[in-house]
Order: sequence, then structure tokens, then C-alpha cells
Amino acid sequence: MSEQMNRRRFLTVLGVTGGGAAAVSACGSDAQRTQKLIPYLIQPEEQVPGTATWYATTCRECTAGCGLHAKVREGRVIKLEGNPESPINAGRLCARGQAALEGVYNPDRVTDPLARNAGGELEKITWDDALARVKAQVKAARGKGIAFVTGNESGAFGDLVGEWTRAVGGAHVSYEPFAFEALREGNRLAFGTSAVPWYDLANAKYILSFGADFLDTWLSPVAYQSAFTRAHAFAAGRAVPMAKAVFVGPRMFLTGMNADEWVAAAPGTEGLLALALAGVIVRERLAPVPADAGRLRDLLARHTAEAVAAVAGVDAAAIERLAREFAGARGGVAVAGGMAAHYPNGAEVVAAVNILNYVAGTVGKLVRFGPNEGLEGSGSFKQMADLAADMQRGKLALLFVHGANPGHSLSGAFWEGWAKVGYKVSFSPYLDETASAADLVLPDLHPLEQWSDSRPRAGVWALQQPVMQPVFPNARHAGDVLLDLAGKSQTFKDYLQARWRPLHARYAHGKTFDEFWAEALQHGGVYTDAPAQAVRLGPQAGDLMRGAPAAPAFDGGAGDPVLIVFPSPVLHDGRGANKPWLQELPDPVSKLTWHAWVELHPETAAKWSVVDGDFLVLQSPFGAVRAPVWITPAVRPDVLALPTGQGHKAYGRYARDRSCNAFDLLSGAANAYGGRTFVVRVSPRKTGEHRFLATSAGDSRDLGPGEEIIRVLPLAQAAKLTPGAHPFAEREAPAYAEGALAGWAEAQRAKASLGNYAGRQPRWAMAIDLTKCTGCSACVTACYAENNLATVGEEQMLRHRQMSWMRIERYWRGGEGGAPVRGVVTPMLCQQCELAPCEPVCPVFAAYHTPDGLNGQVYNRCVGTRYCANNCPYKVRYFNWHNFAEPGGAWEAWPSPLDWQLNPDVTVREKGVMEKCTFCVQRIRGAQNQARLEDRTVLDGEIVPACAQSCPSEAIVFGDLHDKTSRVAQLSEDPRGYHVFETLNTKPGITYLARVLHGEEA
Amino acid sequence: MAQPTTAPPERATGPLTYDYVTRAIARTLGNPGRGYYVLLGSAVTLLGIGIVCLLFLLRYGMGMAGYSMPTYWAIYITCFVFWVGIAHSGTLISAILYLFRSGWRTAVYRVAEVMTVFAVMTAGLFPLIHIGRQWFFYWLLPYPNERGLWPNFKSPLIWDEFAVGTYFTVSACFLIMGLIPDIAAVRDVATGWRRKLYAITSLGWRGTNEQWRHYRPAYLYLAALATPLVLSVHSVVSWDFAMAQVPAWHETLFAPYFVAGAIYSGCAMVITLLVPMRKLFQLEKIVTVHHFENLSKLCLLTGMIVCYAYVIENYVAWYGGPTPERDAFWYRAFGRFWWAGWTMNICNAFLPWLLWFKKVRTNITALFVISIFVNVGMWMERFVIIAVHLAGEPFEPYVRAGYNATWADWGIMAGSFGWFFMWFLLFVKNFPAVSVAEVKEELPAPRRAAARHA
Repeated sequence: MSEQMNRRRFLTVLGVTGGGAAAVSACGSDAQRTQKLIPYLIQPEEQVPGTATWYATTCRECTAGCGLHAKVREGRVIKLEGNPESPINAGRLCARGQAALEGVYNPDRVTDPLARNAGGELEKITWDDALARVKAQVKAARGKGIAFVTGNESGAFGDLVGEWTRAVGGAHVSYEPFAFEALREGNRLAFGTSAVPWYDLANAKYILSFGADFLDTWLSPVAYQSAFTRAHAFAAGRAVPMAKAVFVGPRMFLTGMNADEWVAAAPGTEGLLALALAGVIVRERLAPVPADAGRLRDLLARHTAEAVAAVAGVDAAAIERLAREFAGARGGVAVAGGMAAHYPNGAEVVAAVNILNYVAGTVGKLVRFGPNEGLEGSGSFKQMADLAADMQRGKLALLFVHGANPGHSLSGAFWEGWAKVGYKVSFSPYLDETASAADLVLPDLHPLEQWSDSRPRAGVWALQQPVMQPVFPNARHAGDVLLDLAGKSQTFKDYLQARWRPLHARYAHGKTFDEFWAEALQHGGVYTDAPAQAVRLGPQAGDLMRGAPAAPAFDGGAGDPVLIVFPSPVLHDGRGANKPWLQELPDPVSKLTWHAWVELHPETAAKWSVVDGDFLVLQSPFGAVRAPVWITPAVRPDVLALPTGQGHKAYGRYARDRSCNAFDLLSGAANAYGGRTFVVRVSPRKTGEHRFLATSAGDSRDLGPGEEIIRVLPLAQAAKLTPGAHPFAEREAPAYAEGALAGWAEAQRAKASLGNYAGRQPRWAMAIDLTKCTGCSACVTACYAENNLATVGEEQMLRHRQMSWMRIERYWRGGEGGAPVRGVVTPMLCQQCELAPCEPVCPVFAAYHTPDGLNGQVYNRCVGTRYCANNCPYKVRYFNWHNFAEPGGAWEAWPSPLDWQLNPDVTVREKGVMEKCTFCVQRIRGAQNQARLEDRTVLDGEIVPACAQSCPSEAIVFGDLHDKTSRVAQLSEDPRGYHVFETLNTKPGITYLARVLHGEEA
Repeated sequence: MAQPTTAPPERATGPLTYDYVTRAIARTLGNPGRGYYVLLGSAVTLLGIGIVCLLFLLRYGMGMAGYSMPTYWAIYITCFVFWVGIAHSGTLISAILYLFRSGWRTAVYRVAEVMTVFAVMTAGLFPLIHIGRQWFFYWLLPYPNERGLWPNFKSPLIWDEFAVGTYFTVSACFLIMGLIPDIAAVRDVATGWRRKLYAITSLGWRGTNEQWRHYRPAYLYLAALATPLVLSVHSVVSWDFAMAQVPAWHETLFAPYFVAGAIYSGCAMVITLLVPMRKLFQLEKIVTVHHFENLSKLCLLTGMIVCYAYVIENYVAWYGGPTPERDAFWYRAFGRFWWAGWTMNICNAFLPWLLWFKKVRTNITALFVISIFVNVGMWMERFVIIAVHLAGEPFEPYVRAGYNATWADWGIMAGSFGWFFMWFLLFVKNFPAVSVAEVKEELPAPRRAAARHA
């Protein structure tokens, strides 16, 4: 980038800018370039230029299957929001789901079918040619081994693949790198069913998570986050007290940060702890234990608190206390998964936690079998490992890959086998590792462009419809391709509709199929209640964990530290890595972007004398990676942690050659329960190399606990607060200044008659409940999507030049002198101050105060003195250091067709101007205009900024402070409310409600 | 090329004479030697580097410089304040000391004044360079326009623009005013194109009684007009910071602190410029150790004020209570930019104590070295106030970040030195760098040798 200067560029600069005054003005002319207006000569029906059309569809970024509302402007989808009708996500959407837009508009999509030519290069061919080749290959490979690998497909497409593969004599393997095999197997061990139930966190009074990072990556993160915050929110005078949350595991995930207590058990001992808790409950008769639990007597007797305490590194007293709290809450629920399900004994851990739930009487109440997760079709790692073995033995002649990228998540054996497969066909829309090594690439449509369906949960049939014409018209739906190969004349839509006929028969209530179909499309699917299933303790439940309590053995050298490979909350198994929004979205815990890292406890770092950014080579028995160190109190001292997601060797410009691939360290063999083991011992080696880590947080040396910014209240104290009490109220102005301030306010009111400031105007304001906010960062991506925020890339991130109007600040507290380590988070955005420090210092009135209380920013007027940003104590103003919109420029944020995503209601900013959060002023004006057309006032809750709209925990409430009945006005009066930097007398429009914590300390 | 005089200066041992002064000063306008061209060439090269860097900045955006959030102002504003500060001693020496009738100023005031005008010219470039959309710089000016838009007169940046603009106008007038009799003097001995140039620029000065009678009050009037500017300009510049609420900026102390610092750095810069000039032009007899001692006394006075300001600043931060203020000064001393903070303290607050000794004050070499340190220290002071205190922004710990300047920062800074020295060098070869008329005022009137004998 900037530092690279060659002769040509040097001369270009001199030539372009050196021509005198006229040329100087040309520097800024990119944004003002003449562009052609193309009239809608033939206007499509139902399309009003300037008015958005919304389509309901389903998110396919993970297996959760959240309902989507796609906002389409002039034929282009520009924003994804949750479908409020979907029982999964109820209108909310995570960052990954929203970033699907950057998948559909990805500049590295495959536009045409590609085939490997004689020179070994992929070159474009026609569809006729491509289909002919596939047909020929299928014919030739019949009987010699055909396999079709897909991702988790719970709907019609999976059925079609299954049918077709069977017809040609092949095998259909479903492969997800994180497929929850341990959950299914653990449930089978404990209850004899491999279904994954719905955990009713919303009605829980005590939530005990054994490794399950349900706020980020576990099963259905949006649904569980929403449910968690319902139970874990604080509301004064609520009948049910705020639930306590405890997280057990060697690394504190986002869920651990949001829990009231973190129990840093040794890796692999979570199941022992669960059994010890169950033992205490049974022994002390803390709960009405079901009769058949007697079969567990031996098992529980072996796992006493004392015996487990030594292995797990947790106090026996603490185990007993947890057991009493859990049972005493009369409504506690324990969940297991995530890291705890990634050990070699993962299934047993899950089974042990099931037993804990069972003896506490939770199963059937809060652990509900019936509305099970739609994971039946998601296969297991064993199937994939077997396939890889078959490939190695040369037993496969033809391989199809769709919706999976085993080339990234499997190493060694898979690639050895790959070379021995006769012909490889990929349906990937991107040239990922697998596709770029295939012989034939048949680009599929993006899920937003295609018909399909899925069944994320029993009773939920989610429908997917194309929300726009394909971005690349020569890509083709894989379903259509398969039907063509099968020699059928129908389209995949026909096939899909045929599959929906039985549903019509069951749920149409007398409507015709077309009516039923149209309705289902409108609602995003068909939602019914699944009948509850009763489960009893399974026959094998008592046979768990034979022998004395012990942690499982991990692969690798005996004395080496244990490394946990965990799914990145942002990039997941790596599928998010080609989306710049996700690359630039700080990890909710580490706050690092654009790179992977290995987590080290400060004690370990001191022992090894490494600092943040020092590279370590981690050598496991299966491979090695080079990763920079990130020091954090959120892991156990004897544990390292490394996220997946980076280290792609292909997959487009944003993903390729970026950091290391954590999968390289893992064994390619399935473990006892058919899953993959994500924990391995590694021998670390220092390299002497160093890299600055691109983080959204400032210098870690100066970070501190953020006490001025995030206020915390112990539950006992919060419960005592009465309306009108203001524990955080600080005197905003000294007494002697009050007279002067009153006089000044009066003078301002007189001056206000000059404009329209005097009339009755709303005062837009926001209330953010920090007890609800989990720091999941969905709002951050929502802001990027809504407000055309540029992604700046790693080098600019290193200079802290990110454009993130909404940032999630994370501070660590405690950790010294035995105090528990705690991560606290808060969203920080423009506070829309009433007495804004940014406004008076702007020499050109680019920063000004609107009559409805916003701190306006006129991009066209801004000359870029940056004085406003200096004077903003919240530091929420962002400067355009480069022209991020310049086509072909070195800092281009939206290479075509990513620019199709830009919101036409929001200006794309030029280099040299300041920008900031506007409370989504375009949405405010839109709602006001709508209200004016309908001759009414704007209703409370009608205006929802993008951040509030996406928030899965509904932590953000927006509205008019002058309307005393509005929710925001009521929340602003909450005794927990406070303003950040209140003493500066800026009178912010944002009221934060203090985080409430179980426990003594604040 | 005109050659006013080629005669070597007589090594007069007795008191200075009118003749010696005229000839010695006019000789500075003689044919430039190789050294002069080397200096001028280096200055122009530096300027060229600066211009190229500026073009990159214009084309690719402010990101070419080292800014990082929250360090939104850095080297360019540091240079702006530095050059405005340099500009200060000129008016002080020429105007205030004129009003106080300090005779010693006559030998040095022209250099100081020239330095002032060129330093303001340099300083004035930086606000234009540092803004994000340089091509809209005129939006900062109050000009009538069809949109009825005026600048925001509440913004200290607008005050700044007026303060610096006024200062430039007045100090340029004052310089030209003082130059008129001298230009007329060299006009009378010049030939060729220079004679024409001087004929025009001397504005028809003949040295008549009538002209002198009007000239003196006008000069006095301008001196009186310029005097308050010495105090106002840097006060207003300091309010760019003091009016903001950034901790370590938001201080009532800033105006006097900045003015003292400006005069301090200005005097140091005068010494830095005079020492080599005096040597090169062999003006030792006109610019004597006595003059240097007086300049260094001025340095001592302002240096002590600056030292006092540093102490008070830290004391108030400790005593005053608000923790952001305390954090800011802790950061200055022990944060990641501790080296900048201590360079500033040592160069500005500790070194001037040496000037209490007469031996140091009268040692030209020592003074030159100290003046260089003070220049560095004063630049560092502005860097600390601007870049360091923004980087360690104590309200919002989450954004505290490092700051690394790039070639674009250093290139444009080097360019500003090139720009300044280019004008300075062009001036000293084309106009009298020491006042002919006023130095003579301090000498006894010449008498005919015959009369003396009689």
C-alpha cells in the first residue's frame, strides 16, 4: 500500500496532482464525478424507486436457520434483518448472518463454470460442456465409487442430493466441521436418543454452562442469546429474580464473560464436575430425584466433590456450593457443548451434564425434547474421516463437493486422498481450497439468490426464496444442475414445491396450494409446535466414566501444554473469512481483527517471556502452526487457545494467506464417539518474530478496568434501588455555576426562535442496558451494513483507523489477589450530546445541532480539521484517512460488486471528511415522512436504528425523550441509569443502565 | 550583478563609524559565494521534498501521514505552533524594545523581523496542509457567498485564522516600513536590475527632513500596534487547545505559558540564525557579544517562565483532583512517549539555568548550542502537548494508542524548513539584514577629521 512506491506511482502522483490549482481541486473530485442516470423505462411492477421491498427468506450461514427479512432496493438486496415471525430468531440477527450480503456480492465469486484444462489451469467453459463432462464422468465412475459431500442440509436439497447420489450408486456424506456429534452421542448415552433438545434458558433461574458458548457459536446463538438475556436481565420488582449464570471451562468464552461466575476447570474435567454436582444433589437430597436415578449410585459415588476437586482444579467447597445453588434455584438448567464437547471424552461430558439435569429434575421442564434441533442430517466427522480413508485407498472415482470446504478443515490424509480421486466436482460459488483444487467448478447460486428450504428445528419449516436476480447470471442453482443431470425437466423450485405438498396437506386448513405457498413465502416458512417427547434415563447411563475420576488423555507430548482449538465466533470454521465485514469485526473476546492468535495466560507469558504479538510455533503430533501471542486472563495458565477461521490458502482476496489454520494441528481421525477432537497437546517454540496485532482496542498497557465507562452493581444493591434513586448521579455542574448555566440556557432559548429550534421537537435518545448487552457485536455489523461504513484492512487497523461507528469496548477486571477475572463490555457510539463538545469547535458548521437533538454532521461541508474528534471525550468520530470508495484505489472498500450493497439512503463519504453515528438519521426521517403522509405523529418504537434492530438481547432501546410515555424515557429514569463522563456536562442522549452481577463485589 | 562595494571592511579598532556600518552592511549584498549557493540549494531541495510529500497527501489522503485514532492532530499542527512561536521574538525585539528605547535591538531586529514574517508564512501553510480536504480551505474564510454560509465564529480555529492573519499583515508592514530607508541607502550604491528593484521598493525615499519627520511617528505607531499582537497571537493559538476539553489542554495557564514559550523559542532561533550569519558576513563588530548577552537574558527570563509553567501545570494536575488531568501528566512523564516529555523538560526547563552564568551568556558557542537545544525542546513541547496528550487521551481508555509519524510527516516538516530558509537566504542577499539607519542612530555623529584636529 502506501509504503510501496515505484517510479510509475511516483510519476502518477506528480502528474495528477502537480498541475497547479485546477489539479488540486481534482484531487477531491472522485465523489463528484459525473455519473449517468438511467431511467426506469420499463418499471417493474411492485417496485417503487426509492422504496424498499422486503422478502422473507432463511439464513444459511450456520445450521441455526434464522429467518431473514431481506431489504431490496431497486432490485438489489442491501440489508438483512431478522424475520420477526421466525420462532428461531424472532427478528434478530447475528453478525455472521448479516454478513451473508458480502457473500452474495463477493468480488471473488465464480461467475462461470470452470474446468481444468491440459495446462492444469481452471478455465471458463459453457454449462452445456460442463454438464456433458459431469454426465460422462458419472457414467464412467458408476460402480467405482461416487461420493457427494454437502454441508448440513436439512431440507429438500439434501433429499435431492441423497436421491440422486443413490440413483448413481454413490454415497451422500454431510460434513460440518463443528457438527455437534458429542451432543447427539451424549444424549444417546444418557437418554437413548440422539436428538438435540431445546434448552429453555428463558425460563431458567440458574444457568450452568459446561463449555457451551451459546452466545456465540453453540447450536442457535441468536435464539439462545435472546433466551439467556430474558432470564439474566435485571428488572426491578420482577417476580422472578435475575438468573445466575455460571460458566465452567478452561477458557472464558463470550458466554463466560457474561456469566456471573467463571469456574476455570481443567480441560476435560467438566463432565467430572457435573457428576460431582449431581452427586451432591442426590446425597443431600437437594432436589426430588427421579426414582430411576438409583442406577447412577455407583457412578455418583465414585465422583465425590473431593475426588473431582483435585483433578479439576476446583475447590471441593466450591463444587458443593454450586450444587446447592443449582438445585436450590428450583429451575436451574445445565448445558454442555462447545469446548466441553470437543474433548476425546466429549460425549461423556455431555452425558454427565444430562445426568446432572436429570437428577435436578430439569429434564422435560427446561430441557425439552421434542422441538429438537434439525441436526439429524448433519452427519458426523467419522463419515468424513472414513471417506478420506476411502479416497486414500483409491476407492473413489468421482467426488462432488457442495457447501463444504473439507480442503481447509481437513489436512494431510484428505489431500493425499484427493490426488487419488479420479474426478472432483465442486459446486462452490467461491474458489475455496477445495474448489480451486477441483477438476470442475459448477458455481452455485448464493442462498439469497436461490429457492431452497431447511428444517432448523422440529416443527419449523423455513423457506428460502431468491430475493434478487443472480448477481452473476451464469451461475446456476446446484439443485437445477442435479435435476438436469438426473434427466428431469423440472426446476428445483418445482421439486421444492412437490416436497411441500405433504405440509400443505397437514397445515393448509383448506387453502389451495398456491395460497399456502404464497403465505409460507410471506412468513418465511411454516411454524408449528413440535410435540414434547418424554425421555428416561438410558440403559448405558450408569456406565459412564469408568475408573477413578481423571482428565482424558490428550494427543501429544505428556508434559506439553494443552491447546484448545475453538470455533471463531466471527469467522466460524473459516467460511466467514472472505467477508471483509467479518474480518474487520473484532472478536468479541480478544478484540483482534484480520488475524489469528494464540491465547496465553499472563503467568504463562511471563514464564516464557513473550509479549503480545510474539510468534510461537506450536507443534502438535499432526502438524504445526505459527501464531502470534495474545495475552489474556481469560484462559487457565496451563492452557493455550487458538481460534479457527484463518489460514486460508485460497478463498479469495480477503481470506487468502492470512495467518494460520488451526485445523492443521488436529488429528484427522474420528474419536470414540465419531466426532473430532479439538484439543491437543502442543510443544511451543519461540521464533523471535513479532507482529503488531490489529485490534480495535487501544494500547493494552493503558487499557485499565474502564470504571468510568462501565458501571457495575451487585444484585443485592440493585434490588434495593427504588424509583428515583440515582446511585450514579454525579453533580453535573458545581452549585456556583448553576445560575450562569440557567441564564445561558435562557439565552439559547431566545436565540432558538431564529430557527425551528423553539417548536415542539422530539429529543432522540437511547437507553442501553448493560445487563442485557453481551458484546456479541451483531450491532457492529448492522451499522456497517446500514451506514455504508468502509472496511479499512489490517494495515489501517494497526493505525486504529477503523470506521466502526459502533464499537464494543471490552475491559478486564479483577484477576489480582485472587479476585475473579471478569470481562465487561459496553457499546460505545456517538452519545448525541445536548451540549456537544464537537459542535462549537467546528470552524465551518459541519458539526451542528439539529432541532431534534442530534449532533448532525454535514459531510459535504466538512473540511476535515478533525478538531471535533479531538474534543470528543467519547472518541466516536471517525475520519476518512483515504478514499475508501475510489474504484481501483489502494484502499478500496467495495470492489465491484460489493458496492451493490451500499445503502442508497446514506452518503458514501469522501476522503478527508469526518463521520460518525447519526442514530440512523435516514431511518428517523423515513419514519417521520411516513407518519406525515399518514397524518399522524411518529409512534414510540416505530423508529429502530440498525444496531437496536439487530440486537439479539434487545439491549438497545431508541425513542423520543420528550415523550414521557416512551420506553426510552422510562428507561432513562431507571435508577441504574448513568451517563458516561457525566461530570463533563455534555448531557448525552444515551443512558446506560448499569450491569448487575450476582455476587458481592461490584 | 550589482556590487555595491567590493572593499574589504577595514578592521576598525576604534568606535564604529557611519561609513564602516554602511559598507559592512552593504557588503552582505555582494556576490554570493559557493557556500551561499549550497545553503540555498539545500533549502530548495528540502522544499521540493516537502512539495512532493504534499502532493502524495493531496492525492491519497491524510492517511499518508502517521495519524491514528485518537491522535487526530500531530506533526503538522506541532510545526504550525512551532513556527508561530518562532515568529514571536521578531515583533518583541522590534516593537516592544523599540518602545522601551533599548538601543541594543538595532543590530538584531532586522533578522528577528525577517524571521517573524517568514516564520508566519511557514506556519500559515500548516493549517491548510493538515485539513482533510485542502481544496476547500477557503471555506474557513468569511467570504460572502450565495449560500449565506459563514464560518463558525465560536470556533477557536477561526480566531486563530484572524490572529495569525493580522499578525502576518502587521509584521510584514512593520518590516517593510523599517526597510525603506535602508533600501534607499543601498539603492544609491546599486547598479543594474537591483537598482530598479530598490528604486521601486524604497517607495521614493530620499531621506529628507520632511520624510523623516513623518516616518518616525508612523514607525512608532506601527510599533504600538504590533505590541499587543505579541501577546495576542500566541494566546489565541494556545486557545486552540485550551478551549478544548482534552486533559492537559484545558488550562487557563495556556495563554501566558504559550506566549513565554514563543518568545523563548523565538529568541533561541534568532541566536541560531545570527551566530552563523555574523560569522559569514563578518558583522562581528556590529553584532557584538553584548547583543548576544541581551538576547540570552531574554531567553533566561522567558525560559524561567516556561519552567515555572511546567511546574505549575504538573502541580495543578496533582492538586486539582480530576483524575483525567492527573492521568494525562502521568502519561506525559511515564507513558509510552516518556522520551518526548523528558526531552522537553530537559531542553526547555533545565538547560536555560545555565544562562544565569555570565560566562555562558557571553560564550557564543555555548549560546549557539543551547539555542539549538531550546529549538528542539520547544518543538518537542508542542509535540508533547498535541500528539502525546491526544494519544494518551485519558477520558476514553479504550482508544489510547500509539502514534508513529511517517515519511509524509517528516517530509513536509523538512519542506517547511526548506521554505523558511529559502526565503531567509534570498532576503539576506537582496536586502540589508542589519538596519543601516538604526545602527547609525546609536553611533556618535561623524565629524570632519579637520574639525576634530582643530
